Amino acid sequence: MMSRIIPIATAVVADSLRRKVVYIVLVFAAFLALAIPALPSYGLGVEDAVFREVALALSFVTALVLTLSLAANRVPAEVERRTVYNVIAKGVGRWEYLVGTWLGILIVTGGAIAAFTVVEQVIALVKYRDAMWQLWQGALAVWLEMGVLAAFAVAVSAITGPVVVVTASLAALFAGHSRSTLLGGEGALGLRPFYPSLDAFNVVNPVAHGSGVPPLYIVSMLVVFLGFAAMSLAVGIALFSRRDL
Amino acid sequence: MSEENGSAILIRGARKRYKPIVGAPQRDAVRGVDISVAPGTIHGLLGPNGAGKTTTIKMLLGLVRPTAGEFTILGEDSTQPAGRRNVGFMPEQPYFPQHLRAAQALKLYAQLGGVPKDQIAARTSRLMERVGLQGREKTTLDAFSRGMLQRLGIAQALINEPTVVVLDEPASGLDPVGQRDIRNLMLELRDSGVTVLLSSHQLSEVEAVCDDVTIMNAGVVAAEGDLDMLLNVEGRTSIRARGLGDTLPASIASEATSVAASGGVWVFSVADGAVRRTVDAVDDAGGQVVSVAPVRDSLEDYFARLLVSTSGEGDGR
Repeated sequence: MMSRIIPIATAVVADSLRRKVVYIVLVFAAFLALAIPALPSYGLGVEDAVFREVALALSFVTALVLTLSLAANRVPAEVERRTVYNVIAKGVGRWEYLVGTWLGILIVTGGAIAAFTVVEQVIALVKYRDAMWQLWQGALAVWLEMGVLAAFAVAVSAITGPVVVVTASLAALFAGHSRSTLLGGEGALGLRPFYPSLDAFNVVNPVAHGSGVPPLYIVSMLVVFLGFAAMSLAVGIALFSRRDL
Repeated sequence: MSEENGSAILIRGARKRYKPIVGAPQRDAVRGVDISVAPGTIHGLLGPNGAGKTTTIKMLLGLVRPTAGEFTILGEDSTQPAGRRNVGFMPEQPYFPQHLRAAQALKLYAQLGGVPKDQIAARTSRLMERVGLQGREKTTLDAFSRGMLQRLGIAQALINEPTVVVLDEPASGLDPVGQRDIRNLMLELRDSGVTVLLSSHQLSEVEAVCDDVTIMNAGVVAAEGDLDMLLNVEGRTSIRARGLGDTLPASIASEATSVAASGGVWVFSVADGAVRRTVDAVDDAGGQVVSVAPVRDSLEDYFARLLVSTSGEGDGR
């Protein structure tokens, strides 16, 4: 099983690393990180908190662009170019193909977020003489959320094209962070436990204000990540298994 | 199931109905196809465009969901991944990630095919040489010509040393030398015990290498069987003779049809029951019999005749 999933994930990583969009997004994000001290709200003795908050937002946007650009196109392109024929005919299960693809995207996104976090840390060290290790907790939360989003995007891409995938993924992201808005607070308490909320990955406050994310909360994030990613992939596998290639 | 009856590939009752967008009529691309391929043979799958050949192959290899039917390779359900692990497949046009180098592509498919790590380099090198791509291991595939991609497609199909190989138009896009190489490769595979299912439009290629054929038309099997049996024109024997002079003796002419003469050699066909009599007549006329053989149709003629007789039976793909 893993002997087939790992080569697929490796191929996704290799294919991603030759894409210019990955480097353009990272360089652009690094420039923006360097510009954080120039923000108008920067000052009043909370510079480091503002830096951490904006840096986390930049990580999120960077990871989001990368995740969608990789996940939206991978499966549709392989089906359209028929490169998937050689893979499936070699005895690779369709579920292995989808999981391998998702894993490859997860690795690339993780690498990009890690690289960007290092850049942010270097800036923080130079500017504040503080390594701001909490940024890594924020990076983990962003990565896990992107993992869920990538699973959703891969699932949708199993039967549709890139435009639908991006639209559906952004809609899912919006809905995932709008539980209170959409359910209307106390008016729909019965639905709250079943709502696919992504708020669990929102750790801006503890990261920005320096208190850090408690270890148990990190474990709960991991559980939510695994649950949502597994559900999305299961649906994607069910859809892809029925598709004629 | 297939191992019990001795088939390397067994397709029973294959059917594919494409469900249309609402309002359009349903379309049956394949309608109850049965194919049995004996182990260690080259089996040709023929048919005009739209006959259902590619859909049948795709169902066999799990690329298209069958509406109905059983598909087994070496006794295992080939619509399931485990049933395809001993199979090599080359699609009609081999598609590869264009950014990969040739050796990287083969390494990827070797890994997916379960080739042990320590054997990948040796197999890659051997197959690149076998398909005439030696020295091109580090060339990226976007620099490959159509013919080179075709050759790499064959190497890809063979990288896991399969027992069953399915080739869809393997000689398409190849020059005559390349086509001959592919024919020789298929014969070598057969000689080494590999079963080959060959889908091709090139009738000369099929006639040269195939032991058995299945001819599809409009989603159904129009004819199948041993190629020699199919092409044999029942009841007629061809005789070649020389030393008969410029005019065919009356005793022979009365029996002969399809008469032709060239360079002093007469060629004609007679009814099987008249062979003995005609050979004696050649002797009596002072001539010599050069050869006696059953009259054999060309595959092209047989194919054309069959399609005319079975046309209008449906709409395959």
